[in-house]
Amino acid sequence: MMLTLTIARRELLSFFYSPIAYVVLGLFGFGSALIFFSSFGPSEPAELRPTFEGLIWLLIFLVPAISMRLLSEELRSGTIEPLMTAPVKDTEVIIGKWLGAMGFYATLLSPLLVLVAVLEIYADPHYGPIFTGLLGLLLVGGLYMAIGTFASAATQNQIIAFLIAIFINCLLTFLMFFLPRAEFLGPGMKDAMHYLNVNNQFEDFSKGLIDSSNFVYFLSGIILFLFFSVKTLESRRWR
Amino acid sequence: MSVPAMIHVKDLVKSYGPTLAVDRISFDIPAGRIVGFLGPNGAGKTTTLRMLTGFLPPTAGRITIDGHDVLTQSEKARAQVGYLPESTPLYPEMRVDEYLHYRGRLLSMARATRLRQIDRVADRCGLGNIRRRLIGQLSRGNRQRVGLAQALLHEPPVLILDEPTASLDPNQVGEVRKLISSLRGDHTIVLSTHVLPEIEKMADDVLIIAAGRIVAKGSPDELRRNVGQGARVVVEVKASPEAVERAFRGVSGVGTVETSGRDGWTHAVVNQEHGCDAREGLGQALCANGWQVRELRHETASLEQFFIEITAQQQQAPAGSAA
Repeated sequence: MMLTLTIARRELLSFFYSPIAYVVLGLFGFGSALIFFSSFGPSEPAELRPTFEGLIWLLIFLVPAISMRLLSEELRSGTIEPLMTAPVKDTEVIIGKWLGAMGFYATLLSPLLVLVAVLEIYADPHYGPIFTGLLGLLLVGGLYMAIGTFASAATQNQIIAFLIAIFINCLLTFLMFFLPRAEFLGPGMKDAMHYLNVNNQFEDFSKGLIDSSNFVYFLSGIILFLFFSVKTLESRRWR
Repeated sequence: MSVPAMIHVKDLVKSYGPTLAVDRISFDIPAGRIVGFLGPNGAGKTTTLRMLTGFLPPTAGRITIDGHDVLTQSEKARAQVGYLPESTPLYPEMRVDEYLHYRGRLLSMARATRLRQIDRVADRCGLGNIRRRLIGQLSRGNRQRVGLAQALLHEPPVLILDEPTASLDPNQVGEVRKLISSLRGDHTIVLSTHVLPEIEKMADDVLIIAAGRIVAKGSPDELRRNVGQGARVVVEVKASPEAVERAFRGVSGVGTVETSGRDGWTHAVVNQEHGCDAREGLGQALCANGWQVRELRHETASLEQFFIEITAQQQQAPAGSAA
């Protein structure tokens, strides 16, 4: 546990030295403000729901930009060697990396608090849906980050890691959105795809609902992809 | 039962697909020895060291470090080892002290121990005035010191150093060599290099690897003795090459003579027959002819010649060893 936190801490600090982090931070802040103010005005409901539902699309591309260097950079520069020869388990390395990146992601979400403050000044917002929406964003980010960690463990090329992660994220969103519209799919398949769609799972959170099935979806997705990451990292030793 | 070796390697094999990088090597290293791995680039040195540290799993064979199997008791074995990988990979965005603290935490060292040990290794590796600097801005030599400090941090019984002096300038090479020699006795050290003088000066034992096999082992002195007919005499005289060659051939103990002439001077390399010393006879021959001499030099056999000989033999038949 301590080792995991040690790795997470180093990872988090190193984000603040990388230029990409600031680009992502800027894009996210700009994107969220843009979406927020496009639906901000008199007679509009005092909520962040449109902002959340817009941001969820932005995350498909932004989270991979955060996760792409997690392991790729270590594999490329060779720092993986002193890391893996220290008495540390592969699982601790992966979870540490993911946690560190999640720490940075939490920083990324912090400008949203400014938007909450704006709502508070001009209106009287309901805090329930805002809270669940933020929680939902955290879970979606966690899933995308686990996918990104897996992609990053698979290659020493950051660009490839970035693209693999976006590809998987798109499978879980765009594909699951459009494919159920096809005629040839049976109702069972359509239900399954509806279930796998990240955006559908997020919908309840943005409405202010907390459903345990949504938690199960995100947590099992995160665990699954972190498990793939550990196996991918392990397999590098056997190649 | 005899004292178990600190590092025990038995029938170690590593293949990358069809390529055999390490071909059934076995050796034992007793505690406290400095052992040099010597071999041309691509001989399997780095692969072997990586297997010792647990970074690469062997295709076959067994490695134990201080009695712990590197595969099955990996973490225990890894805790015994300080490792300096080839080309010293470090995080450029970290400060030296920050990095050493991070390594200390990975080794589960308590804060007080960490502070004490960092001071100790910083002192030992001469990090004094660079401890606050960013690693990315350090010179090659200083990076190497940080790498060594990191490897020494927890006073591991075993140190594995992959090319510790590669790409350093001669002064830095001297410093690193001095540092490694100062660790003699406290640690069992395995280091690899393709630079010969280094091994001759530092190592107690040498393992020469070529094409994934150990082709020779022993102390530097023992290996040098094996070289045998390596000694030769180099002479430069003012005479025609033919005359010089004729004169030298007559001397007892002389094997072959190679001559080349330039500006009226002849450069002759005289290889002596096994176990003979032809210097006296050559001197007499020079006096008898009354030639002007501007060079007369006896070249003793070095490990270098042995190394070239033995690795050249290997390279002539690499196909057989790879099958």
